[in-house]
Amino acid sequence: MDKVNFEVLREQIDSLVGSKCEVYDAIGNDDALIIPSERLMDVVALIDQIFDGAHLTTITAQQRAGQHNLIELMYHFYQKFAFTIIVRLPAEAPSIASILSILPGADFYEREVAEMFGVKFTGRTETPPLLLPDDWDQGPPFIRKEVIDE
Amino acid sequence: MSKISIPIGPQHPLLKEPLSMKIDISGEKVLGGSLRLGYVHRGIERLAQKRNYVQTIHLVERVCGICSHIHTTTFCQAVESLLKLEVPPRAQYLRALMCELERIHSHLLWLGILAKHVGLDTIFMHTWHDRELALDVMEEITGGRVLHGANQIGGVRFDLDESHFPMIYANLEKLRSQISGLLDILENEPALIARTKGVAPVSQKTIRQYGVAGPVARASGVDVDMRRDNPLPPYDQLKFSVVTMPDGDAWARTIVRAEEIRESLNLCEMILEDLPDGEVSKRAPRNVPEGEVIIRSEAPRGELFYYLRSDGTDQPARLKIRTPTLAALCLLPVQMSDIQVADIPVVLAGVDLCVACADR
Amino acid sequence: MIKNLLDKTYRWAQKNSLWVIHFNTGGCNGCDIEILDLLTPRYDIERLGIIAEASPRHADVLLCTGPVTQQTSAGLWQIYSQMPSPKWVVAVGSCSNTGGVFYGSDTVLGGVDKILPVDLYLPGCPCRPEAIIEGLLQLRERISKDG
Repeated sequence: MDKVNFEVLREQIDSLVGSKCEVYDAIGNDDALIIPSERLMDVVALIDQIFDGAHLTTITAQQRAGQHNLIELMYHFYQKFAFTIIVRLPAEAPSIASILSILPGADFYEREVAEMFGVKFTGRTETPPLLLPDDWDQGPPFIRKEVIDE
Repeated sequence: MSKISIPIGPQHPLLKEPLSMKIDISGEKVLGGSLRLGYVHRGIERLAQKRNYVQTIHLVERVCGICSHIHTTTFCQAVESLLKLEVPPRAQYLRALMCELERIHSHLLWLGILAKHVGLDTIFMHTWHDRELALDVMEEITGGRVLHGANQIGGVRFDLDESHFPMIYANLEKLRSQISGLLDILENEPALIARTKGVAPVSQKTIRQYGVAGPVARASGVDVDMRRDNPLPPYDQLKFSVVTMPDGDAWARTIVRAEEIRESLNLCEMILEDLPDGEVSKRAPRNVPEGEVIIRSEAPRGELFYYLRSDGTDQPARLKIRTPTLAALCLLPVQMSDIQVADIPVVLAGVDLCVACADR
Repeated sequence: MIKNLLDKTYRWAQKNSLWVIHFNTGGCNGCDIEILDLLTPRYDIERLGIIAEASPRHADVLLCTGPVTQQTSAGLWQIYSQMPSPKWVVAVGSCSNTGGVFYGSDTVLGGVDKILPVDLYLPGCPCRPEAIIEGLLQLRERISKDG
C-alpha cells in the first residue's frame, strides 16, 4: 500500500537474497513479494530487524486451482504499511523452516497450516494440532477437498 | 514446593466457551500454562468454499456472536473490492454506526465479565443493564439484538428515518452518563486497582513479536488502530482519538477499553450528525470476478484480517480469517508466567477471550 | 394418598427451583450471551427460582448451545452423566437443534440430540431471552404435570 516504503524494503530483500524477487501485485491492498523458500528465515530476520519487531498478522496457506502441485504460503506483515511475503512449496512433501525462533507469535499460525495442509515446519521441537479434534484421522482437510473436487 | 497442574475447562463457570487450559502452579505462584483450542472449531473456512457469497455473509456473521457485525462488514468490503463496487456513502456511515454500537456493547460485556471475575458483582449487573441500552438501539434499527443481518453486498439492509433519532439520542445520552460514573469507579475503586494494577505487564516488544493489536496492544503503549491507520470510509472523515496507556498491565487494559466506550459514543453522535442522504445499497452481481484482496479492520478485540480469493464463480475459492483473539491467546501463556494464582481470573479477563473467534 | 401428596409437593418444589447449568458445545456465543443476559436485571431469571449453577452435580437442567463439535461431544456426555436424576436437557438456539448454519461441516455433529435425549427445543438464531424464559416456563408446567 505504501509504495515508497515497499520499494525500499524490496531493495533490501533483493540484496539479501542475491537476486531480484518477483513482485506479486494481484492482491488488492497489499504489496507482495515472492521469495525462494529456503531464504525465509533470513528475510524474516531482516524484516524483524528493520521494524524492530515485525508484526506478523497471520500465515495463509492455499492451493490454487490448476496448480495442485504447489502449496502457497503467505506471510502477512503489518507495520505502518501492509505487505506480504509469499513462498511456494511442492505439494508432495511440503517443508519449510519455522520462524518461531524469530517471531514467537507465529506458533499458532504454523500449527494451523501444518494440520490443515500437511506442511512440515522444520526447526520446531513439535507441531501439535491446534484446531482439529484429537481423534481426527482423515488427513489435512483442505488438501482432501481440493483432490475430491478434481 | 512441588509443582501441581490444574486443568481448567472445557466446562468451567469462569468460561463462557469451551477452552482447555493446564496451569502449572507451585504454592501461590503460577509457573506457566498451556492451552488446547479447537473445541469451537466448526470449519468455517471450509464451509465457505461450499456456499455462495450471499450465504457466506450469513455464515461469517456466526463466527462470533459478540463481534458479528464487523465480520460481515469486513467480508462485504472484501467482496465489494473484488467487484469494484462503490458502496453509497449513507451505507458506509450506517455500517460504521453499527460497528461503533457493537464496540460499545462488546466492551460493556467485557467490563461486566472482568468485574465478575474480580468479585465486584454489582458492576457486572450495572454494565450488563446498561448494555441493554445499546442492544435496544441495534434492535430498533436492524431488528436484531445480537446477530443483526445488517449487511449485504453493496450496502446495508436497513435505513434510518427521523422517527429513530429521538430514541437513539436518548439512549446514547443515558449511556454517556452511566459510562462517566463507571469510569469514576474504575479509576478510583481501591479493590479494583489493587487487583489489577501491576498484574501481568506486557512490553511493547513482546506485543509486536506476538502480532497482537487492539486494546491489549494500546494498553502497552503501541499506537495502532486500524480505523485510523488503514481507514476504510467513513473513518477517513471522522475525527476520533486513539487511547493508549503506557503500563501494559491489567489496569491499563481496563482503562483503555473503558475510554474507548466514550470515544465510540462520540463517534456514534458524529456519524448521526453527518449522515449523508441517498440510497443504502447497490445491486451486486452474483458472480465475482477473479482476484484476491486483503481487508484489515478494527474489531472490538483488535485487528481483524480477511483474505478472500475468488475464481470467477459465485463461490469463494479461499477465505482466510484471522481474528484478534488468536494472537491474544498466543500471548496468554507468556502472561501466565510469574503471577499469583489469584491473578489468573484477572489475566484471563484482560485478554477478552472470544474462543469462537479464535477457533472459527 | 400420602404418596400422592408427597409426589405433588416434590414436583412443586422441583419446578419452583430449577437450577440450570449451561454448556457451550461450540457455538458462536450469541445464544450464550443471551443466556447470561437472563441473570441480569432486565430479565432477572432468579425471580422464577432459577439460578445458574457451576457444578453439574447440583443442576437439574442442562442448557446447551452450539452445534456440538467433535471435540466437545465427550465433554457434553460427561456433564450429562454427572447430573443426578431427574434431569432435563434444553437445546437453545438453531445450532443445538439441528446444527444450524454449520450443518454439513466435517467437524460438527449437528445438534444436541445426536448425543443426548432432548426435552425442549428452543429455536432462534440467536434465541431471545424472552423465548428462553418462555421455554423454561413451559418446562416447569411439564414438570408439574408429569414429573
